[in-house]
Amino acid sequence: MAFVLNVPETPDDWSQEPSPYDEDEVHHSFHQLIQEQSQWVGASGSEAGLQLTPGPAALLTVVDGDHQAGPGPEGAPAYSAATLRILASMPSRTIGRSRGAIISQYYNRTMQLRRCGRRPLLGAEGRGARPSLRSLDLELDPTAREEEEKRALLVTELQGLTGAQQDQLLRGMPLSLAEKRCLRQESRTPSGKQRGWQAQRGVWSCCSRLKYGCVLAFHNLGLGLLSGLSALTPWRYTLKRIGGQFGSSVLSYFLFLKTLLVSNALLLLPLLAFIVGVQAAFPPDPRGPAPTFTGLELLTGAGYFTHTVMYYGYYSNFTLNQPCTHPPDGAQCTPGAGDLPYNMPLAYLFTMGAIFFTTGITLVYSMSRSFGESYRVGSTLGIHAITVFCSWDYKVTQKWASRLQQDNLRTQLKELLAEWQLRQRPRSVCGRLRRAAVLLLVWFLCLATVLGCAVGVYTFSELMIQSPVATGQEVGLLVLPLVVSLANLLVPYLYRLLATLERHESPVLEVYVAVCRNLLLKAILLGILCYHWLGRRVGALKGQCWEDFVGQELYRFVVMDFIFTLLDTLFGELVWRLVSEKKSRSRRKPEFDIAGNLLQLIYGQTLTWLGVLFCPLLPAVQVLKLLLLFYVKKTSLMANCQAPRRPWLASHMSTVFLTLLCFPSFLGAAVFLCSAIWQVKPSSTCGPFQTLDTMYEAGKVWVRHLQRAGPRVSWLPWVYHYLLENTFLIFLVSALLLAVIYLNIQVVKGQRKVICLLKEQISNEGEDKMFLINKLHSVYEKKERSR
Amino acid sequence: MGQCLRYQMHWEDLEEYQALTFLTRNEILCIHDTFLKLCPPGKYYKEVTLTMDQVSSLPALRVNPFRDRICRVFSHNDVFSFEDVLGMASVFSEQACPSLKIEYAFRIYDFNENGFIDEEDLQRIILRLLNSDDVSEDLLIDLTTHVLSESDLDNDNMLSFSEFEHAMAKSPDFMNSFRIHFWGF
Repeated sequence: MAFVLNVPETPDDWSQEPSPYDEDEVHHSFHQLIQEQSQWVGASGSEAGLQLTPGPAALLTVVDGDHQAGPGPEGAPAYSAATLRILASMPSRTIGRSRGAIISQYYNRTMQLRRCGRRPLLGAEGRGARPSLRSLDLELDPTAREEEEKRALLVTELQGLTGAQQDQLLRGMPLSLAEKRCLRQESRTPSGKQRGWQAQRGVWSCCSRLKYGCVLAFHNLGLGLLSGLSALTPWRYTLKRIGGQFGSSVLSYFLFLKTLLVSNALLLLPLLAFIVGVQAAFPPDPRGPAPTFTGLELLTGAGYFTHTVMYYGYYSNFTLNQPCTHPPDGAQCTPGAGDLPYNMPLAYLFTMGAIFFTTGITLVYSMSRSFGESYRVGSTLGIHAITVFCSWDYKVTQKWASRLQQDNLRTQLKELLAEWQLRQRPRSVCGRLRRAAVLLLVWFLCLATVLGCAVGVYTFSELMIQSPVATGQEVGLLVLPLVVSLANLLVPYLYRLLATLERHESPVLEVYVAVCRNLLLKAILLGILCYHWLGRRVGALKGQCWEDFVGQELYRFVVMDFIFTLLDTLFGELVWRLVSEKKSRSRRKPEFDIAGNLLQLIYGQTLTWLGVLFCPLLPAVQVLKLLLLFYVKKTSLMANCQAPRRPWLASHMSTVFLTLLCFPSFLGAAVFLCSAIWQVKPSSTCGPFQTLDTMYEAGKVWVRHLQRAGPRVSWLPWVYHYLLENTFLIFLVSALLLAVIYLNIQVVKGQRKVICLLKEQISNEGEDKMFLINKLHSVYEKKERSR
Repeated sequence: MGQCLRYQMHWEDLEEYQALTFLTRNEILCIHDTFLKLCPPGKYYKEVTLTMDQVSSLPALRVNPFRDRICRVFSHNDVFSFEDVLGMASVFSEQACPSLKIEYAFRIYDFNENGFIDEEDLQRIILRLLNSDDVSEDLLIDLTTHVLSESDLDNDNMLSFSEFEHAMAKSPDFMNSFRIHFWGF
């Protein structure tokens, strides 16, 4: 079969490779080529192999030796201009910019959807803005319509949509705004109406001008108000400045802090409304003379604060403001103002349960959304591609910030390549053994440190129980929080020191390992403390108000954590910078330790969640603490630190830390709360659950009361008995969840296999393409040599 | 500094621009102000065009290493009309859909405009990012090889649009970085 290749001669300059962005070049040469081929096949008869038949003069190929195109990629042959011309008009290269292709693609999409009889689901446009090759009939189809016709059809289709849907579709099209306006105008105003509208325009000009003037005045007023409101949004300008100067990695820490602040404030609202506020309005009888206020209360939380709304012990265990059914002896019962009875124990229990439930749901939702945004089935992160294409932040507008970005990028790229080279170097068996030994040793040392700290804290807590602190010596209460905070502060530095021994292959792995070790330390220490409080303290403080004590302990821990964070900022950043400036003279400021600071925030939030049952005002303390921390950290950052040089994929890391907030932290606090509500006996001298065996019994008592109340609310006890008390429902729901999770895992596995197969297929297609291009090139070369 | 008439934009035009772009009314008016400052006095804003140099000198684009490519992609016949500027701001706005951003990012990064991001394009991107000429050859070649080995699926030593889209899809880093907030002075 004769295979004739003829490329039409064009008068353009040959030195420039034809660009697919020239609208005239679209598809024409390829189409003509194939047409000619079919003509020549019919005309010249069949011959084996490739043959070059000279055609009519106008269609004669000119492959001028002087006009070889620029050098191709290294190692690949330099293609002749004719080959390049054909390559340039390949559909995959030209389709993106061809206006006709874009318009016809959108026309096809809406027509198909109308044929199905439903409105286009604009949210479900999974495909990108660029039209796909397959749905576009190339000019091989002789009935292909002109661009104008397709455009008219698209307009007709657009008229079938509602206004908002039209706009949404037009917004996502990669066309210029002028063309979009034309399309919109054509689809909004059919030509019949247009004439009438224009006639009315002259009459309305002064009215419309007046209207326009009024509307614009209102608009400016509205804009002014809006900008005033947005100025009230706290820290917007500060956050922008931090992001512009230090990049999005450091910004992620401050955003996390702001999120925690807002969530604590929201947590505080139901507590204030349903518990603190109500009890403050109906104060119980004072139990004894109130101690005087010394400054120490701010640190220990005891003393003056003990018998206030701050702690569990203050709250009444009866229904407040109950219309009295038994008149006190002798006197008449006068109904008080505000006749609504308020069952305090029930309110306490339900509010605590409700806030934990909402917090849990919100955390899981935001974690899953953050995960879904960045997880892709079956493919790795592709760090080099992301570094090259995504690391330049277009928001940066200042010259020195852009220079900083460039420096960081350079360091990042160099480190990436250095790690790669390290991995490539073949390691001897001896080297590998040595490396394994070093890793094992470091891990052993870290675990030994954790164990040592745990044993130390446990012994210390037992000591505190054996020798209780006298009432005058309340400073002694601060020792346990001090010891724990000191351990939390110093041990991570030890870990950093140990980590210099092991050299990891990738900097991201280093961060993960450091976070893991830190997390282990904090989790174990908190676990021991929880056991100490709920297990040992309850027994040790029999007959006294142990809930108050635990609430005060947690208050002390929160305050100590704040003090030590301040100390860490002071010594870790300020003093370090001064020392390094004097000693090394290299003006190298200390790096802002994002992971360590984030973990500290999570630790503080865990303490708040642990303590909210016993100290309802603890979120307020946390809010104050976070506010102060923001300003301190910001000042220290601006003055002392520089952006970290290690790559820190901000979105990926924020998913990780959100997961850490949800899983070890919130789950641990929820377990603590559940065991406090279901298992531990509340103290019998104070608090809303004095007379009950467990806190949960308040709910049971209420349900029994409802059962006696009558048939009107009988559905509530029914719900309680058959859905909550009955464990069958919980088993059923768990089994269903497990089944759904397992099915999803199987689906993901299947998708991964399919993706592998598709990748291989794409690779094969690429091989085919290269083969054809090389053959094409060899044909032209032969032709040139034979001339 | 241009002294065009201040409230030239008709209410209907503003509505239309707001419907067809991803910008809010506030942002459109801000861009309108900036445009008026740059255009010559006494002319109607719809008839004025800005040169690529003028747009490159905006604070939003001044330090961007790809500003010439951005101007080339969004301009028509090497000049910017007001609607071209709006179209550009719309693609870079926060609410723009990812597919649109990826499409235009591909066009911007395709330096030699052959419809693909090949090795030459990648090397030019890296040089622009680092903004220095003393980048070692090894770094360039190694990095280019790595990027292609990660993203090039059909092994033709170039990134087609689909491959680029596949690499950038589900990458919140890309969406976050390909954003310009403020177009004023």
